[in-house]
Amino acid sequence: MAKQDRDDKLIVAGSTLQGFAQACINLNIVAGNKAENLLGEIKITDWYPFNKLREIERVVLEAYENAAPILERVGMEMMLGWYNYGPGKEIIKKGVDFLHFQTGSQGYASVVKGPEDLVGSFNLEFLDESNGEAKIHSTTPFNKDMERGVVIGGMSAPGDLDYVDASNDDDPHVFIIEFA
Amino acid sequence: MSLEELLKSGTAPKKDDISEQELVKLFRKYQGLQKKQERDQAFWAATNENLKIAYEKLDEKERELAKAYDIIQDDLSVASKIQAALLPQCTEKMALELDVAVYHKQLAEVGGDYYDFFNTCSGSYAIGLFDISGHGVSAALVMTYLKAQFMKVLETLESPKEIVESVNNTSFDFLKTVKKYATVNFAVMNTTALRYVSGGGYGLLLSGKDRTVFEKRDAFLGLRRRPFHEYELSFGKGDLLALYTDGIVEAQNDKGEDYSVQRLNDLIVNSSQKPVQEILDRCLEDYRKFRSKDSDDITMLILRKKV
Repeated sequence: MAKQDRDDKLIVAGSTLQGFAQACINLNIVAGNKAENLLGEIKITDWYPFNKLREIERVVLEAYENAAPILERVGMEMMLGWYNYGPGKEIIKKGVDFLHFQTGSQGYASVVKGPEDLVGSFNLEFLDESNGEAKIHSTTPFNKDMERGVVIGGMSAPGDLDYVDASNDDDPHVFIIEFA
Repeated sequence: MSLEELLKSGTAPKKDDISEQELVKLFRKYQGLQKKQERDQAFWAATNENLKIAYEKLDEKERELAKAYDIIQDDLSVASKIQAALLPQCTEKMALELDVAVYHKQLAEVGGDYYDFFNTCSGSYAIGLFDISGHGVSAALVMTYLKAQFMKVLETLESPKEIVESVNNTSFDFLKTVKKYATVNFAVMNTTALRYVSGGGYGLLLSGKDRTVFEKRDAFLGLRRRPFHEYELSFGKGDLLALYTDGIVEAQNDKGEDYSVQRLNDLIVNSSQKPVQEILDRCLEDYRKFRSKDSDDITMLILRKKV
């Protein structure tokens, strides 16, 4: 199924949409009218067509020749907002808790809804806490650079880890995570 | 000593000061900082690249804007010449019967103040002074439209009331559409008198010892579909007629005070024995001393009956 067709059938939580837009504004990636338009009248309790998120994503992709580091930083910034100003502190106490939160794709399931076969998953497949290694498999419709930033930002947010890295260089859908 | 304590002390550790566990932690911290630096570098490199592109685009837009500005300036310069060419010369009969002094200055290259001299169908001559709302190109375009309307109407009509009413009626819908209106002072002269219509215009007639101020009286052209009133006044040898738009009288000084109709009319009365050009020069000199800046188009006509 084409990306567009899939997006048409999905909805995304207002909190995620707002987190994404707010992150873009915080990082001064967009400014002025564009920034105001991004936030628009997003309500965190409402659900929106997934295309709305694509629109915001497009603003970044069109503005930057090399958007990958930007989207990664947006993902990190989103998770800082989620942790400091959203429900994050209630859900995770340590960086590794963020990985546990992804077990069975429960974290992702709370922000995207739609036909089961189209929603996809963001699932913790492997975790070795003592060696600081983990693997997440993602079939979500989110941009994979941003999603990498989500992993790094989510694990770094509590501030207990000295080192966090996530890489999906070999396969965009598989995040190899190292932490200490 | 813990790693935190060691870092706080600010002193480089000796081999035995730090445990192996703390050393690993230090390594991880360093590794973490290195990663953070890598990410920061990638982020700022992307941002800088974007900034570079943005500056290039800005330069390009500036060049386009400068080019467009030059084209507009060239156009305005031509438009200014065209508008100046549309302003009238005295008719032969007028030149024989009147001394005329005119000052006409648009705030921009083109503008909405407009005066004209016409021959009527019976061989008299007429003077019109108009102030079209707004400034610039749109006002200038309306000016050319009104000029054409007056020229057409003057082929068949003689009375100022009929002339102005006819132009108002034919122009009304057009002026409404373009959201413009125009003040009008329109006077038709014969050997001993003048008949005039004033729709928001300013003027002063000095006839012997009589002093008649053209008050605003009727509505502007394009404002109402109402009849205009016509007045007839004696206009014989030596009499003086001054017509002007609001540019002078509504000009303000640094204190926000208006120059005023009263001040201008008094100056004209006090200078009335001078030649018309000198009267005009005195008015302009006084205006320039008073006003803080030009903020409107200015037109002033001083006419004296010679015969």
